[in-house]
Amino acid sequence: MSAAVATKPTAPPAAKAQGKLSFPRLLRSEWIKFWSVRSTFWTLAIFLFAVVALVVLITLAIHNAPPESQGGPSDADRADPLNGFQAAVFLGQFAVAILGALTITGEYTTGMIRTSLTAAPKRLPVLWSKGLVAGFSMLVFGVITVGLSAALQWVFFHGVGIGVDIGNSQQVRALLGTALYIATIGLLAFAFGALMRHSAAAVSTILGLLLVIPLIFGLVPWKPLKYVEPFLPGNAGQKITMTDAQNAAQAAGNTVGANLTAWQGYGVLVAWVVVVLGVAAYLLKKRDA
Amino acid sequence: MIEAQGLTKRYGPKTAVDGITFTVEPGRVTGFLGPNGAGKSTTMRMIVGLDRPTAGSVSVNGKPYAQHHSPLTEVGALLEAKAVHTGRSARNHLRALAATHGIGNKRVDEVISMTGLDAVAKRRVGGFSLGMGQRLGIAAALIGDPHTLILDEPVNGLDPEGVLWVRNLVRYLASEGRTVFLSSHLMSEMALTADHLLVIGRGRIIASGPTATVIAQATQETVRVVSPQASDLAALLRGPDVTVNSDEAGALTITGATSIQVGELAAANRVVLHELTPVSGSLEEAYMTLTQDSVEYHSSEVPAELTQEVAR
Repeated sequence: MSAAVATKPTAPPAAKAQGKLSFPRLLRSEWIKFWSVRSTFWTLAIFLFAVVALVVLITLAIHNAPPESQGGPSDADRADPLNGFQAAVFLGQFAVAILGALTITGEYTTGMIRTSLTAAPKRLPVLWSKGLVAGFSMLVFGVITVGLSAALQWVFFHGVGIGVDIGNSQQVRALLGTALYIATIGLLAFAFGALMRHSAAAVSTILGLLLVIPLIFGLVPWKPLKYVEPFLPGNAGQKITMTDAQNAAQAAGNTVGANLTAWQGYGVLVAWVVVVLGVAAYLLKKRDA
Repeated sequence: MIEAQGLTKRYGPKTAVDGITFTVEPGRVTGFLGPNGAGKSTTMRMIVGLDRPTAGSVSVNGKPYAQHHSPLTEVGALLEAKAVHTGRSARNHLRALAATHGIGNKRVDEVISMTGLDAVAKRRVGGFSLGMGQRLGIAAALIGDPHTLILDEPVNGLDPEGVLWVRNLVRYLASEGRTVFLSSHLMSEMALTADHLLVIGRGRIIASGPTATVIAQATQETVRVVSPQASDLAALLRGPDVTVNSDEAGALTITGATSIQVGELAAANRVVLHELTPVSGSLEEAYMTLTQDSVEYHSSEVPAELTQEVAR
């Protein structure tokens, strides 16, 4: 008996794609997307290198500064290992902000968003998964960067008494808070990117909020501005990068406007993210892609 | 199966798609034909939920596209070539797309070789030619092995080999019982590829039916006659259904009568004929006939003085 062979026309039956759309799968997709464009690697590398180098250099500069009697920093400031971090992070945050914005505006400027939204037509899960992947990656990278900076600082300067004390919960909170701040600023930039769908617009908005507006508020002697100032995303968020003692010292010098604690300040930054992302989500659902 | 009911899209005061109703059946290639700006792309974007209809509705296999649990295995769409991040490689683009539905790398490599992208799969999409971008778009549409395929101008930018490949591919997919809906502004391409035509102009369906029927209805048969007694013959022929035009002395172009009728009439009236030729209209003419009132962007007529100038 000969086996009947059914001859099928050309092309082998395609490996049957059994998949269904799901949120974990979207996360996986966004993960591939996030790490498969060069700008991700470059911005994170620049961020890491700039922050680590600045922390070490600023610590060196403070250590070598003239004594207090000649206009240098006080002994307390000199011994504070966190001083180097705040300036470094202030500069490093811009790399992360640009990365956060480009994560989504890059899809709009190239037309990729239409492919993404065709694959996941309910739309909102695309926004959430993208934000989660970007936020998580930036948080991990922030922790690595801060850890590496602290380690190098300790290697070079523990001999002269400067170095983060891992037993000091305030210092550890400030350092982890720094990584958290970085990731949250990245998310805020991401939210503006989702809202504006345009790289230049999103980047200039976030840079304006972090850099230009605080500067203007500082320069214009108009009292109502002082009430708003603590609630700007950068000013509020940076509270978590400081120890309670540093926050208290800053509050002591401030007579007008709110003095937020570390977590209150961070809460204000998170509120910014929630509001901007919420509006972006509403518009994503409503607008034509 | 794609079903549209009174589908309408307005952008401000401009109506792009004007209450169209149609069904795209499985098992055959349905061509969506129309001039630029007729509403083809907008219609296709509404099918996959990228644009929201102002009115009406459209469903794919019985449900609005967004309500399917597995959109990519339901519908594969090529809506514009290069809806791709330019900084990513073709393979990573397809991997990311496949990952949304848990489709493995095996299928990714399969569609890469199906579309002939093996050599460039690791290169960044930004450097792709129009043709390669188009192939990547088709690869992306095929990734979920979908029941329904929606392709907007798939042969744009492809070389003749690529055009033939797309034609064979869509015909094969339709023969497997899938729904294939593809748009073009090229009548000749559609005549070769589509079983069924949906002709759209200014946002309205102006003709639909089997390709041969649509073309036949729109194609005008004319008869060309050369005769030394052309004016006599013209006088004999003219009637309510027959029009006679003459673009050169002694030659007539007759619409509304067959060559048999013209020849017999000439013989009965002892008119000498030097030439008697039935002329069937070209596809392009048929297309122009169908869409002449609904072309969005008319190229203006060349002024008469200019043509005379050239003739001299």
